[in-house]
Amino acid sequence: MSSRRSRDAGGIRGREAAAGWLFTAPALVILGLFLALPILMAAWVSVSDWRGQGSPFSSSVGFVGADNYRGILSAESGLPARDFGTALRNNFWYVVLVVPLQTILSLFLAVLVNRKVLRGRGFFRTAFYFPSVTSSVAIVIVFLFLFSGSGAVNKSLSWLGVNGPNWFADPRGVAHVVLGVFGIDGAPALLSDNGFLSLSWWEWLAGPSVAMSALIMLAVFTTSGTFMLLFIAALQNVSGEVQEAALLDGASGWQRFRFVTLPLLRPTLFTVLTLGLIGTWQVFDQIFVGTQGGPAKTTITPAYLSYTSSFLNNRWGQGAAIAFILFAIIVVLTLIQRWVLRERGVPKRKRYVPDAAVVGTTR
Amino acid sequence: MTATTVSTQATEDKSSSGAAQTRAPAGPRTVLTTSMTYALLALIAIIYIFPFLIQIATSFKTDNDAAANPVSLIPANWTTATYQTLFGGGLAFPTWAMNSVIVTVFVTIGRVLFCSMAGYALARLRFRGRGLLFAALIAVMAVPAVVLLIPKFLVVNTLGIYDSYAGMIVPLLVDAAGVFIMKNFFESIPMSVEEAAHIDGAGIFRTFWSVVLPMSRPALITLVILAFQGSWNELSHFVVSAQDPDLYTLTKGVATLAAGGQGQAQQFPLKLGAAALMTIPVAVMFFIFQRQIMNTAEGAEKG
Amino acid sequence: MTTRAPRPAAIALATATVLAMSACGGGGFDEGSDPTGQASGPAELTILIGSSGPAETDAVTAAAQAWSEESGNTATVTAAQDLPQQLSQGFAAGSPPDVFYVSSDTVASYAENGSLEPYAGDLSNVDDFYPNLREAFTVDDQFYCAPKDFSTLSLIINTDSWAAAGLTDEDIPTSWDELSAVAEQLTTPDQVGLTTSTEYQRLGAFMAQAGGGLVTDGTATADSSENVEALEYVQSVVELGAWSFAADLDSGWAGEAFGNARAAMTIEGNWMIGAMSADYPDINYQVVPLPEGPAGAGTLTFTNCWGIAAQSDNIEAAKDLVEFLTSSEQQLEFASAFGVMPSVESAADQWRADNPDFVAFLDQADVAVAVPNQVGVSDVVADLNAQLEGLSSGDPQAILDSAQSNLEAIL
Repeated sequence: MSSRRSRDAGGIRGREAAAGWLFTAPALVILGLFLALPILMAAWVSVSDWRGQGSPFSSSVGFVGADNYRGILSAESGLPARDFGTALRNNFWYVVLVVPLQTILSLFLAVLVNRKVLRGRGFFRTAFYFPSVTSSVAIVIVFLFLFSGSGAVNKSLSWLGVNGPNWFADPRGVAHVVLGVFGIDGAPALLSDNGFLSLSWWEWLAGPSVAMSALIMLAVFTTSGTFMLLFIAALQNVSGEVQEAALLDGASGWQRFRFVTLPLLRPTLFTVLTLGLIGTWQVFDQIFVGTQGGPAKTTITPAYLSYTSSFLNNRWGQGAAIAFILFAIIVVLTLIQRWVLRERGVPKRKRYVPDAAVVGTTR
Repeated sequence: MTATTVSTQATEDKSSSGAAQTRAPAGPRTVLTTSMTYALLALIAIIYIFPFLIQIATSFKTDNDAAANPVSLIPANWTTATYQTLFGGGLAFPTWAMNSVIVTVFVTIGRVLFCSMAGYALARLRFRGRGLLFAALIAVMAVPAVVLLIPKFLVVNTLGIYDSYAGMIVPLLVDAAGVFIMKNFFESIPMSVEEAAHIDGAGIFRTFWSVVLPMSRPALITLVILAFQGSWNELSHFVVSAQDPDLYTLTKGVATLAAGGQGQAQQFPLKLGAAALMTIPVAVMFFIFQRQIMNTAEGAEKG
Repeated sequence: MTTRAPRPAAIALATATVLAMSACGGGGFDEGSDPTGQASGPAELTILIGSSGPAETDAVTAAAQAWSEESGNTATVTAAQDLPQQLSQGFAAGSPPDVFYVSSDTVASYAENGSLEPYAGDLSNVDDFYPNLREAFTVDDQFYCAPKDFSTLSLIINTDSWAAAGLTDEDIPTSWDELSAVAEQLTTPDQVGLTTSTEYQRLGAFMAQAGGGLVTDGTATADSSENVEALEYVQSVVELGAWSFAADLDSGWAGEAFGNARAAMTIEGNWMIGAMSADYPDINYQVVPLPEGPAGAGTLTFTNCWGIAAQSDNIEAAKDLVEFLTSSEQQLEFASAFGVMPSVESAADQWRADNPDFVAFLDQADVAVAVPNQVGVSDVVADLNAQLEGLSSGDPQAILDSAQSNLEAIL
């Protein structure tokens, strides 16, 4: 299409073409070199036996097919497969808890802060948003301190008569702890003898460890502000319509929210859930800085395992394979979610645009 | 912040509807609800702010005081030992800070320049392959960053810029989302000004530089905020792109400090002090550009 | 707006860049490296160490300086923040340090992938090293690298708490029963009797005392009854309330809990000497051998060697440097600077004379066993450590069974 036009218009179009490539060249080169090319290189490493000696393209490096993938997926390979299963289990619970919690909390904060009669809106918004701008490294250190055995959190709990756990040193699964309260300490044979990805179902059902729960709270704390802003923007868009609807049927506050506001927030909700899903499957910084996978491997995640397999254990092929599996998980889950939350009647283009831009900046 | 930027554009055209608010008469029930809302908000705000206050207070405590009184905001005996260690002791904290500044400055300048150039080309210049480029841009934005951890190291290494400022800076110079934001912005401003410049005989680059860029202040500020925050807080890229202790940035340095090691005590005041110091620049930026960041909400209200 | 067909576009773009890169000769890792492994002229060596602190860094730097002046070469010392990561990035980048610390449990994996130069058999002082240390760095009958020093675990006692509990030298525990008895006596509301971390690197000493071990003559023996007995003993003392793990005392490591007087005894190695004088100078303590278990005396030993990169351009100079660093005199310098014990027998007597308070560490050298060094064992030990974190409420047999199956998978 553009070619036909350029022939028509001659010189100016030619200059535009040159300028177009010139203007996009830096972005093209850098994104190509550091985003597109790495993916291809990693794809090769994930099917090679490169052990971190010299170039992965040297002639001594061989093609091993799906060996690296088998190594982390097949129960026969022992520890690496078990570690990968554990990492998936840990991250699964992290996602399952963080995504709904951060979405609900940020929506709740947005609704509270968006009230017209409220004084000091700016202050509250600032307070809720500030954790989002600080670096993950700094926040993790603060949380390590707050959640240490005799730290501020346990001190506050003790005023309420609760004896808090030693958060970051406690590997017990929260679900197991709760079951233990009801006297269920061991697994039924059905659950302990069968399993998935080298972990028994009983281990899958452990829930996040106490340590991981602290990281879950950290994630909710640091992301709710960003998402709150998204919801505030959306709420202001819909508030006029809500007002009209309310005048029409005199509905109560909750009904208005449930049946008018919430459906109108759907595109934003979709964005927040997608971003949450993509972000939570990539937890790395918090683990790297805070727990290094411990206690008892209950906070290793696929992203962190990919790093340790490659950089610490010299199993580069397996590390790259983990990264690709993680990539696949994120893509598949995002597509599933897109399909589940699909809406009819809203033009595709309209919800696509903000979505994509925000996706890119969450990294 | 990210979110703000993007939604600003979505909000603008509709903002007037939000302004048409009618205030409900204040009955006793409303008063009760309102005060409950305030109480709730105040409680949440305390939960959100308190960790940072504890952080600052603890950095002036001794190790034992920090362990014994983790909640108190007033140190039992004030000490600046933390900051003396950070700036005068065996730690390379000043080096880390300098590296963070160097990287952040270059990345911010690079992103503003390259993202706006590419965004402008994609929005305004007609050339063969533009659609393809844009599609590629969307595709790379969908790749999760952690997946790139290992391969980025491989590429940086193959290019021979491993363990250098170049390896730390160049890969961050362009941000796909930044290009996207600028493209959207340029599409939202009217063509007429540029056309006038063209008629006056200005070339494409001149038009871009002297006419378009000066008009793009809001979007550029957004880009600066994003680039500054992103590169200042970046950790994983620096982990894989360099290992020389002289090239440690604040994130990497403080992260190793946090991890501690065999034979090291927990030293929370020191770690918290370091974390507090590294938060200052983003906090300052946050308060300077607060209006811009919160723009969505404010702008919409004022209609 | 183009929402479709992103994939072919990305591939086209990437392919183009790959082509561009290979055209300009990417992957030049081997450039400049001399096949003989020896560059001419004065050598410039880089040394990467995993330092325990400024004392160690300064001492190694001074030694490297001395060697440089003597040999006419230059050697620069860098203290790693994260030694394994920096090493593997160095190797993958084709620019590893010439000389670096390698711990005994990782030597085999570095040897296996060809990172290490097997030079130690050529050293002139090769026979002076303790036999079990030589063994620790021998892979497939090749003595890869020279042990730089070693440490053993001993029982560290807070002498003030000891006296306050009415205990005397007579009461120094020599058996498991005596250990649990004194630990109980030393336990007060403010202080627990004994603290350690939960790692195999500490609790393994009890396995040794029970006559067990993870690997015996190359076969996995993690689930032996001796090992179970050892862990059950540990559990029993924990149940008495007389033994707490460091993490439960809010401490990064056991030495911190001991130094902050939250525990009256701990089991640590030679590094305690430096840590105590630097961080906790007010605590009075003494060092005694670990008690004997059902199978007699036993402890663990930890050792690092001076690894030389096979990729190094200066292997000959590096060997010369290592010979200098492992000489009796130089090792005694290190010993006085940061508390380690020389890896050569010729320095033992002098060390004893210099460190009368700490002879317990060296006295146990004969009964000390090293962490197994087979390829992959460090991962198994890491996994075992992860499970041992749940030891207080866990089942020792189950923990050891899983270590056993992990070991069987790699041996």
